[in-house]
Amino acid sequence: MAHVSIPSYWKTLPQRYCLIGMQCKNCGTINFPAREICISCKQKSEFEPTKLSGRGKIYSYTVIAAGSAPPEFSEQEKLAGSFPVAIVELEEGVRTVAQITDYEPEDLKIGAEVEAVFRRIYEEDKVIRYGLKFRPVKERKSPL
Amino acid sequence: MSIGILGYGVYIPRYRINRAEYIKAWGQFAAAGIEEKAVPGFDEDSVTMAVEASLNALNHAKVDSKKLNAIYFASTSSPYCEKLVSSTIAMALGAPPRVSVADYTSSTMAATSALLLSLDFVASGRGHFALVVASDCPYADPSEFLEHPLGAGAAAFVVGEGTPIATIEASECTAIEALGERFRKDGEKIIETLGIPPYTQAVIVNTVTSSVKALLDKTGRKPSDFNFVVLPQFDGGLPSGIARKIGFEETQFVPSMIVSQVGDAGAASPLIGLAKVLDEAKPGHKVLVASYGAGAGSDAVSVSINEEIMKRKGTVPSVKDYLAKKKYIDYIYYLKIKKMI
Repeated sequence: MAHVSIPSYWKTLPQRYCLIGMQCKNCGTINFPAREICISCKQKSEFEPTKLSGRGKIYSYTVIAAGSAPPEFSEQEKLAGSFPVAIVELEEGVRTVAQITDYEPEDLKIGAEVEAVFRRIYEEDKVIRYGLKFRPVKERKSPL
Repeated sequence: MSIGILGYGVYIPRYRINRAEYIKAWGQFAAAGIEEKAVPGFDEDSVTMAVEASLNALNHAKVDSKKLNAIYFASTSSPYCEKLVSSTIAMALGAPPRVSVADYTSSTMAATSALLLSLDFVASGRGHFALVVASDCPYADPSEFLEHPLGAGAAAFVVGEGTPIATIEASECTAIEALGERFRKDGEKIIETLGIPPYTQAVIVNTVTSSVKALLDKTGRKPSDFNFVVLPQFDGGLPSGIARKIGFEETQFVPSMIVSQVGDAGAASPLIGLAKVLDEAKPGHKVLVASYGAGAGSDAVSVSINEEIMKRKGTVPSVKDYLAKKKYIDYIYYLKIKKMI
């Protein structure tokens, strides 16, 4: 992940904190993250904020291990160990990239059910960047 | 339509460290009556724990976050000394921007203060729905005994107009100046104590007894009139000391005990204890909750359980559900994910 400035992060907080997607008023497709031009109908449409459920499946994943973490995640790698990053396909059909947390190695499977949880993502210049990660679903659905 | 507690929810992180790990590291575990304690993950803090407890509470209360008029956060371990985190929680919950927010900090009594203020907020007509969330993971120097009991957890309550599952009947507060027990100086992350256990114990027992007795006088009740009592749980021994002084029986305070599995969850403890009691309570039951904040103060709150509670049982994860979901870690990993080394 490349450096994200505070103003850019701030502008995207609704999507980062509570999965607000933008639904195209022209074709109904949910754009997540928000875009100027709809990913589906390619029109410069109007968009309606819409809350995504946070439920989804692992579409693909990788594990970030020693030495390969971007600088803002190097402390996490050093103290908490290697961590998985997944492309998660949400039940609304959109795909997003996020870390998997609170997992056991056997939970990391393509197609495994996950749910969004609000966590600390990283800290930069003393400022905590909060956002969403996903955790495996075993018995119940997330309150999100 | 009346005013009261419309719903509640908790969150306890999945990591646990047990007594044996401390004994391996330090030769002893200086935490009476604690078998294991909850530990926030590397990516968790009092704010993230608060968000999950709040979502559970809103679901339990069947109140949409868009209807909230107030969000009050209570903790001794906010990640910021200055910068509202109730605003962070508000956005994570999807609450509207026109909401009253406040962070109640610097005391383990903060949660009951915030709960009573949320009741005043609604009763005075300033708003219809208030969310109080207490979330805490206190820190101390790992080489001090004071660090041994410190755990983590969160509990959230929705107070508002509707058909309450429980009603806050009355409250009494006490403030008695005390010094040198638990404190955290400006600019410090860790709590300290001058380490005089008999003095600390006496100050806590006296302050809590004062608020509880005032509440008993006000309501004209005897200790035995309450089905359950939630007492301060900085360790597993303290509640019995307080109970003995006032005249409560073991059967009244044991159902609220969470410290043996969660540790000292600071400001969140009184509300997690109340949540555990509400998980089991029946309509008509009376609960007395007493909090304690070093320095010193105590709130005593009387809660009466209503019929509505039966309709909500099992709709969101209970205290027991979170206690059952756990992963044990060793002491070194504990120090690492608490960022103490």
